[in-house]
Amino acid sequence: MLHIRNLTKRYGRFTALSDVSFSIRPGEVLGLIGPNGSGKTTLFECLGGVLPLDTGSLTREGRPLSARERASMLFYLPDAIVPWPAQPVRWTIDFTLGFFGGRAYLRDEVVERFELRPLLDVAMGNLSKGQRKRALLAIGVLMPQPLLLADEPFDGLDLRQTRDVAQALRSYAWAGRTIVLSIHQIRDAARVCDRFVLLSGGRGRGEGTLKELSAMAAARGGGASTDLEEVFLALT
Amino acid sequence: MRSRDGSTAFQAAAFLWLLRKETRELLAARSWWVLLVAMGPLVGVTFISAVRTYAEASGLNGTAAGVGEAFSPLVGIWAPTFSACEVAAVFLLPFVAIRVVAGDRQSGAAKIELQHPMPSLARIGAKAIVLFCAWIVASAPAAIAVVLWKRYGGSIYPPELATVAFGHVLNAGLTIALAAFTAAISEHPSTAAILTLSVTVGTWILNFVAAVQGGVWERLAGFTPPAMVAGFQHGLVRLDVVLVAVVLVFAGLVVAAVWVRTGVAVQRRVSESLTLAAAAAAALFACMLATASWDASENRMNSLPEPDEAALARIPGPLQIEAHLAPEDPRRADLERRSFAKLRRVMPKVQVTYVSATSIGLFEQTSPHYGEIWYGLGGRREMTRSTTTEGMLETIYSLAGMKAPNEADEPIFRGHPLAVPPRGAATIFYLIWPTLILAGAFLLRWGRS
Repeated sequence: MLHIRNLTKRYGRFTALSDVSFSIRPGEVLGLIGPNGSGKTTLFECLGGVLPLDTGSLTREGRPLSARERASMLFYLPDAIVPWPAQPVRWTIDFTLGFFGGRAYLRDEVVERFELRPLLDVAMGNLSKGQRKRALLAIGVLMPQPLLLADEPFDGLDLRQTRDVAQALRSYAWAGRTIVLSIHQIRDAARVCDRFVLLSGGRGRGEGTLKELSAMAAARGGGASTDLEEVFLALT
Repeated sequence: MRSRDGSTAFQAAAFLWLLRKETRELLAARSWWVLLVAMGPLVGVTFISAVRTYAEASGLNGTAAGVGEAFSPLVGIWAPTFSACEVAAVFLLPFVAIRVVAGDRQSGAAKIELQHPMPSLARIGAKAIVLFCAWIVASAPAAIAVVLWKRYGGSIYPPELATVAFGHVLNAGLTIALAAFTAAISEHPSTAAILTLSVTVGTWILNFVAAVQGGVWERLAGFTPPAMVAGFQHGLVRLDVVLVAVVLVFAGLVVAAVWVRTGVAVQRRVSESLTLAAAAAAALFACMLATASWDASENRMNSLPEPDEAALARIPGPLQIEAHLAPEDPRRADLERRSFAKLRRVMPKVQVTYVSATSIGLFEQTSPHYGEIWYGLGGRREMTRSTTTEGMLETIYSLAGMKAPNEADEPIFRGHPLAVPPRGAATIFYLIWPTLILAGAFLLRWGRS
């Protein structure tokens, strides 16, 4: 669906991302795994067009994506934002649906799945961190682009909400949506993702299913564990 | 996704959503409600004071001929009343504009909204439209003042009133564009506010330097917002001033659009901004060459008598004037405002040069040539020390070998004296307006959450 090749991003002398390459396949839930400061958000912001790339490319079927094609192909849902703080959740959803020409037919279903009905008349700025995260995820799911990039989608959610949101995201992936999640909690990632891209120190350390990564770790003498945490530690 | 087809209908629908969003964000901004509340008392205090002064003057000399200009509502009522709009445009409107432009970036909403493939100029345009409409709404107290004046029995000459209002709308446009520009280039709204106020203070400094130095500074100072507004408040519409203001507004918004984009390297934005600045500078230079102007004042305070205008228009060739007067000499300001400014309107080829060795002229009085005003036309030169309009016209006619035209039989403007107190104005501007605005704010903003 999309190939990311040799993506590099520097802030002055600091290199946040160095030659990161991986692929995104249609209909999968891909987890971008890495500790804090590994470059996950920078990578997402580069893919989402928020930050300019220094070098590297996004290609589809061997052809670089233009800014317009990227805008119509992927939607990036940032973490740690409080957008439209004075506006109620209901209006925020309607605005993003109308502005982006989103999947209005899914509106009621998404509101139910992300348990937003009691919050519809509450201003975005008055929501708790977890409530806001659910509202933003709902917006992300309703967007028309086939690919959704969500930065730290489980941050602020409790255990039950994390499970429910993970199930919801999986179900939308089964329905044909491609989802890329940036996650620093490896257990959460293991629960929801089909494949993983491991990121550490701004470099890609591996890409594949748990089985493939486990084999890679074993090949490097890290043991044949099927635990994602162990595999991550072995490869980074 | 429909945007892939570049569908105009889709873009139009998105733009309408953006307008709705910007309107709601404006209504949610405290700075907007502060501006609205403040406009009542601001306009009130200037209007009430102006009506009182006008009434006092009318009661004392209401029928005396020759002082009619003092009883023109343009100078007596509208200039001071609308000056409240100037204060609000300088000190309150920038904060509203910065809130609207920078709010998205502060909250993170920009990271979402900017993923829409809409041109950034359209985004800034939506904000500018909403802010412009907001300014019109905020100017409602000035409209109330007009209604009150009419109810008192005051005279209204629509062209001059429209000119004053137009000048303040242009001034607000400049403020909006400046605030949009500073908000777009700075990371934080407080930085944008400091930058905006710095530019405002910069224009004051320019006016001060112009008053002391004269020359090119004086020419440049003529295009600062205070000078621009002053011209409109005298009922004078100058095409060069209007064009310069429009170019500055457009340039400010376009550069703001360059900087609100995400995913673009800073070097590229700087390079695009410099290119735009160069284009804007060229456009400004071209605009400054425009000479057309219109005197919308009822008493023709910016024009020479009509027979003189007709006679002067027949004089061919450029007229050179060399005035040996220092920038701060009050005779120079008087001569410039009462005579040369009016002369330029009928003789675009007039070239005025001021000659002085000092800024105040006090220590030049002993110089034998100080105070001389030389007029040159068709190779002939003539000198006068008169700083009156009559002296100027007499010298020009003499140089041109023409006889001064006879005075026209047109009626003399005797003004519109009105000796009435500002009944009910205090209640409306100090009580009813703030109460209505606060109630509206409560219902729309706090009542909703």
